[in-house]
Amino acid sequence: MAKARGTDGSLLHSLPWTMASLAIALLPHVPYLPFWVTIAFIGCSVWRYSIETRRAPVPSTWFRAFLAMLCFLGILATYDTISGVGPGSALLATMAALKILETRRLRDQFVLLFIAIFLVMSSLLREQYLWSLPYLVATLLFIMTAWLRMSGNPRQPVRTSFRTSGRMLAYAAPIAIAMWILFPRISTPFWSVPIDTSSGVTGLSDRMSPGDISSLSLSNAVAFRARFDGPVPAGRDLYWRALVLPRFNGRSWAAWEPTFRAGAEEQVAVRGDAYRYQVTLEPTNQQWVPALEVPYEWDLDHTSMGRMQTLNRVYPIDQRMRYTVESFIDYRAEPYMANGMRRWFLGVPEGSNPRTAELAQAMHDEAGSDQEFIRAVLRKFHEEEFFYTLEPPQLGSDPVDGFLFDTRRGFCEHYASAFSVMMRSVGIPSRIVIGYQGGEYNPRGEYLIVRQADAHAWTEVWFEGIGWQRVDPTAAVAPERIEMGIAESMFDGIGEAWGLSAPAEWLHQATLAWDALNARWNEWVLGYGPTTQEALMNSLGMEEPSWRKLMLTLVAVVAGLTLLLSGILMLRFRPPPKDRATVLYRRFVKRTGVEPRRGETPDAFAARIAGGTGIAEAAIAKVTSAYLRARYAESDPASLDELETAVRAAR
Amino acid sequence: MFSIPWRYRRLPRLLQTFQGFATRRARRWARKRQGTDSTTTRLTARRVYILPTSVGLVFALTTFAMLLGSMNYNNNLSFVLTFFLVGLGFVSMHTCQRNLVGLQVNFAGVEPVFAGQAAQFEIAISNDSKSPRSRIGLYLDGITTEIHDLEPGESRVFVVPVPTDCRGRVPLYRFGIRTLFPFEFFRSWAWIHMDIHGIAYPAPVDIAPRPPASQMALGHRQHDERGEEDFAGLRRFVIGDSPRNVAWKAYARSDQLLSKRFAGADTSSQWFDFDDVEAADVEDRLSILTRWVVDADRASEDYGLRLPGVEFPPAHGEAHRRRCLEALALFGLIEEAAANDG
Repeated sequence: MAKARGTDGSLLHSLPWTMASLAIALLPHVPYLPFWVTIAFIGCSVWRYSIETRRAPVPSTWFRAFLAMLCFLGILATYDTISGVGPGSALLATMAALKILETRRLRDQFVLLFIAIFLVMSSLLREQYLWSLPYLVATLLFIMTAWLRMSGNPRQPVRTSFRTSGRMLAYAAPIAIAMWILFPRISTPFWSVPIDTSSGVTGLSDRMSPGDISSLSLSNAVAFRARFDGPVPAGRDLYWRALVLPRFNGRSWAAWEPTFRAGAEEQVAVRGDAYRYQVTLEPTNQQWVPALEVPYEWDLDHTSMGRMQTLNRVYPIDQRMRYTVESFIDYRAEPYMANGMRRWFLGVPEGSNPRTAELAQAMHDEAGSDQEFIRAVLRKFHEEEFFYTLEPPQLGSDPVDGFLFDTRRGFCEHYASAFSVMMRSVGIPSRIVIGYQGGEYNPRGEYLIVRQADAHAWTEVWFEGIGWQRVDPTAAVAPERIEMGIAESMFDGIGEAWGLSAPAEWLHQATLAWDALNARWNEWVLGYGPTTQEALMNSLGMEEPSWRKLMLTLVAVVAGLTLLLSGILMLRFRPPPKDRATVLYRRFVKRTGVEPRRGETPDAFAARIAGGTGIAEAAIAKVTSAYLRARYAESDPASLDELETAVRAAR
Repeated sequence: MFSIPWRYRRLPRLLQTFQGFATRRARRWARKRQGTDSTTTRLTARRVYILPTSVGLVFALTTFAMLLGSMNYNNNLSFVLTFFLVGLGFVSMHTCQRNLVGLQVNFAGVEPVFAGQAAQFEIAISNDSKSPRSRIGLYLDGITTEIHDLEPGESRVFVVPVPTDCRGRVPLYRFGIRTLFPFEFFRSWAWIHMDIHGIAYPAPVDIAPRPPASQMALGHRQHDERGEEDFAGLRRFVIGDSPRNVAWKAYARSDQLLSKRFAGADTSSQWFDFDDVEAADVEDRLSILTRWVVDADRASEDYGLRLPGVEFPPAHGEAHRRRCLEALALFGLIEEAAANDG
């Protein structure tokens, strides 16, 4: 069946707004979408708009089908799949672009607006920032305005449409908030669809080559935030262990696959005071869970202690997680180890870094004991010409040799690596730990921000009966790095020597304030889950909130709010109030017991009822004349009182 | 873009049948419940009905899907979006209904038409509240005739055309007022049953036999030209009287319009007599008479109409024309009560 393809300009009052709301809904997707999808959307919108202004026909069905095919293949070629948030939103965007081309009637725009809502939804699945909420409300305002313009009076000014839809949103807001708070949250998803993670996450990886961590040190991205229940440990004790790298191939260090090891907790003996803190971890897409030194108790699901005394999670951390950990700084880990196991921590490839091995052997012979040897190596780093820098020179095939004997400039991973190789060369089991060191205390939110810049590498050495002991060679070279942390040394001027430049102080303060706001946002809005909900309900007086109880409360509250809304609307649309004179006169009429006829004047009514009721004729005349005066004479406030007394007297 | 395979086409038809049945039942129920309305009616909340539209159902389905998505991803911001949409649904429902409640509906009259034309019923709708009412539409048998916005205090006449096919009274048993405002998620409407009707005159035949040209008509003209009429006195001026017959001198004296009457004026005009029309069928006769009346009126001639039982002496003018045509329209019809609607 052939359809007329012509346009008549009747969409000019609504289509631009529909396209605008689509564009706004698409905006957060743009960085993730293939470039051509954005271009296609803009192209189709502009083309369609010019078609409408020129009253030209829309492109033919065949041409549109061809375009649709092309776009579909394009998406398939870009993503290899069409499921998931990434390809899904690309598909939605191209669908919107093609549908814009096809739109001829006013009501075709319904589909476009539904697509816009879905686009907003999928952008929220991908990222949820503090500004996502205002963005979501603004987009909704645009969409609903476009909706009004599509279904409303074509001659209505845009401002009126915006005001009306703004009012609708304002009315809807209390219902939305109540439902948001009360809707029962469940912690486990029904089914798992991977959320798009194509955007790279900066952070630690399970390999460490020279230069890996120093590349992180300029990143201001937040790794996690920690809120301590009690006092915050001193900076030099803030060693956040994330993963342990036991394998060395002569150049880089590598971790084992994160595994569960039965009884790993029993290998750890703790002493002293526990630190209890809550970590809000940003997504890493990795399986390790950073915790202060040695964790003793934790509440993160699917998480257990691995054989390296670190926490591993069964599923990668693909969204922000919050967990509480109890850690000890004074501990003894794995005091006894089988020989076979021990050999893993001694491995150095044959013939790699020969000069280092030689030096270590010589120093060990000279020192006499293992403990003395360690002290000697640290003293060497401290006293000789070693420099701590974020921009270390390139290293050749034997990087440890090159670092120790030639360049002597390095970042924490260079020192840790060199130290560990020296230990292994003389038969002391050692391993590299990577994680974060320090963190900046944010007084505005009373929590510790640990950034990617705080990434650090250090070593642990093992002695029979004592277990693993932390040794941080960086502390010997740049003690300020450990004592003060990256952020503070940056502002102290010390960081300058390492290649760090500090931002303006006010900017830093603003960053801290913004971060505190974000932390609160993450905690109260994004992190609102079963636990938070239960706590909130408890504080509101609901005992043991169950799914049933919450749902019943939700229904009751929403019903109440809807009733309120109905009342407000009733007031808005109420007929004009009857004036006082009419009210008084009606009272009198009621008292007479006679119903006035249609169109009967008060005088005629008075004449008709005269004598028929128990009321004196004089009183009736008085009421009638007072009413006529109050009603029709210009502004005489006294006549109202007169009417009132007359009505009262007429019995 | 897509066409439905032939074997599924029956389903929509079945749905339509069901919908028609449901609508008829609902209308009958509402009629019984509301009774006959006066020609001045205010819409109360009790008589404004509301149902979701197909767009509203799609919207609800979308919202439900989004709720499932939000629950699955435990995404608090998409919960916000979802619940905002739910809230908008509630707001839309109440706004839609309140948009109608309180409107004042008045019957503003209907002009007579000839059978075959549509009688234009004028319904005045006034918004005496302080807020504007948007997208108010009047409809008849499911077809919306006009949609307007009503500003606060605004009163507006909507026209409902009712097609006629035969002469007689044209009742408007029922019409509806509806709105889809704000987002077309809901349709709220009110049915109004006023006891109002217009009149459809018989359709004038296109080709009519010549009217009986009585000599008296000719005589009248001759008299007129010669100025030999027998003056028979003065009477009060009636709209439709010829200015020639106005007693202007008397007007100048007394400030009162008077018409001169002439003896034998009754016989000086043409008579259209039902019994004289040469047609077998009553309706044909009425149509021919209508044509004569219309033509004579257009020519500003005096004419009289004689129907079995009624007689209109010759005269002319709008009022006379109306009386005659009305008599033709209602000739032989039993005045039926307006209760026979279904």
